[in-house]
Amino acid sequence: MNILLAGEGGQGVQSIAKIIARAAQKAGKHETYLPGFGVEQRGGVSLAFLKINNENIFYPRFAKADIIISLCNRSMATIKEYLKDSSIFIYDNSAINDEHLDEIRALVKKFLKIPAQQMAIEKFTIKSANMILLGAVLPSLGIDQSAIEDQIREEFKDKMAKNPQITDQNLSAFRQGLELVKAPMEDFSGKAEVEIKSQFSDDKKIWKCFPEYCKGCGLCVARCPVHAIHFTKNQGFLGTPLPEVDINKCEACDTCEKICPDGAIKVEKYSSQQVE
Amino acid sequence: MKKLQGALVEPAFPKSWRKQSKPHKFCPGCGQALALKILGFAIDELGIQDKMVYGCDIGCSLLTWEMFDLDTVQAHHGRVLPTMVGFKLAKPESIVIAFMGDGGGYAIGAQHLVNSAMRNDKVTVILINNANYAMTGGQMAPTTLISEKTTTTPEGRQENQFGNPLHGPEMLSKIIDDKAYIARTISTNFGDCKEKIKKAIQNQIDGRGFSFVEILSMCPVNWHTNTQASLDFCEKDLTKIYPLGEFK
Repeated sequence: MNILLAGEGGQGVQSIAKIIARAAQKAGKHETYLPGFGVEQRGGVSLAFLKINNENIFYPRFAKADIIISLCNRSMATIKEYLKDSSIFIYDNSAINDEHLDEIRALVKKFLKIPAQQMAIEKFTIKSANMILLGAVLPSLGIDQSAIEDQIREEFKDKMAKNPQITDQNLSAFRQGLELVKAPMEDFSGKAEVEIKSQFSDDKKIWKCFPEYCKGCGLCVARCPVHAIHFTKNQGFLGTPLPEVDINKCEACDTCEKICPDGAIKVEKYSSQQVE
Repeated sequence: MKKLQGALVEPAFPKSWRKQSKPHKFCPGCGQALALKILGFAIDELGIQDKMVYGCDIGCSLLTWEMFDLDTVQAHHGRVLPTMVGFKLAKPESIVIAFMGDGGGYAIGAQHLVNSAMRNDKVTVILINNANYAMTGGQMAPTTLISEKTTTTPEGRQENQFGNPLHGPEMLSKIIDDKAYIARTISTNFGDCKEKIKKAIQNQIDGRGFSFVEILSMCPVNWHTNTQASLDFCEKDLTKIYPLGEFK
């Protein structure tokens, strides 16, 4: 069985791939796990190639995948090549936009749509979204639920010292994902495009943040001398929070524009003559 | 009356940045990206985009090979400097910048930096100092502070084992000609950083000699710090060991 996982770096693609691979190994199967990502430490598309077999595996890569799991918009172009008629496409319909699905709409025959990110934000933390998808993929894997759960416990053993709830949280996220698969899957659709208010203005100035460039580093929030900038629940292209300004407090001093490493903030100031 | 409500606003990119390659590949909160933005504005203000050739080193700095709308070359471990010196010799009217990190410039490729400074080559070198090897996952660099933890010094850098942090600009200023320009600045100070970069490029345009700017920078991913802690480490701890200023 060939499995391809794709997501943004930091979403936890490699951790769930590792859990599946180790659980399969302990269940007595042959498996290979091959991570694939770019030179970036953060922010690139991260891929994981998994092979699980009852016989020997001679080569870890494959041309077509039986199961494809996608967590992000930017992975569509990559996973397109690996789709075949019998592939099961498992995706996060609360993270992937409808328009991005258009690219592969004609190729997908079987799919599971799991609102993992939305559920993770509501019930757990956003980092548990990958565990929900792991739960969703379990019925197609042919591995026992208990084997995966044991592996999750082992994987988070080291992190227990810092955060004692982490294992329980991930286990319940995993079981939540298992529940979600039982619901009937209707139309093949993603998240509708939401208009994010990113431009703020009054009669003297404009403050704009560009969600397509903002990486959510928080330097503008930390540096604002009048504390007018704060984070919102809206997300930029990396799934990080977007900043917003309180335009009444803002003095258009340009500090945020100068400190932004991505050029994602623009402040324009007008004198009263220019406006009139 | 001018209507501000739906006014079209462009991102705050320098003109010399290549727009198609944005968002760039640096991590969130990276100080190197900030330094590159300031370099872009300095190039804009000097109006030298047509004459300029840009060379980047290996390490995180290689992520800049499509950053600018400039002729760009990428070389290995400090060897970008001799490459750019060669280009300058072949085409003296061009303006060249060698962009490197502290690993390439002070460790693996230090010979090139020292010899180029000794010869007083008419090139501009911009070196990012973030106190570790960032791209490979945060190993100890010559600039790592005493007792700073990295993946290769889990107990903190020990003075008796690895020596003291390397002060590049101070070292070069001892061996260099009087016409050279040597300075250290910090990426979070927009005005100071831009002024020193502009002076360094102007020094080359005037044909005076070697110009070198070390820029202190943040690496939140490998320092394992949040936004405020990164700013504090960069602006307080690093500047205590590496004082800002002009050395030549």
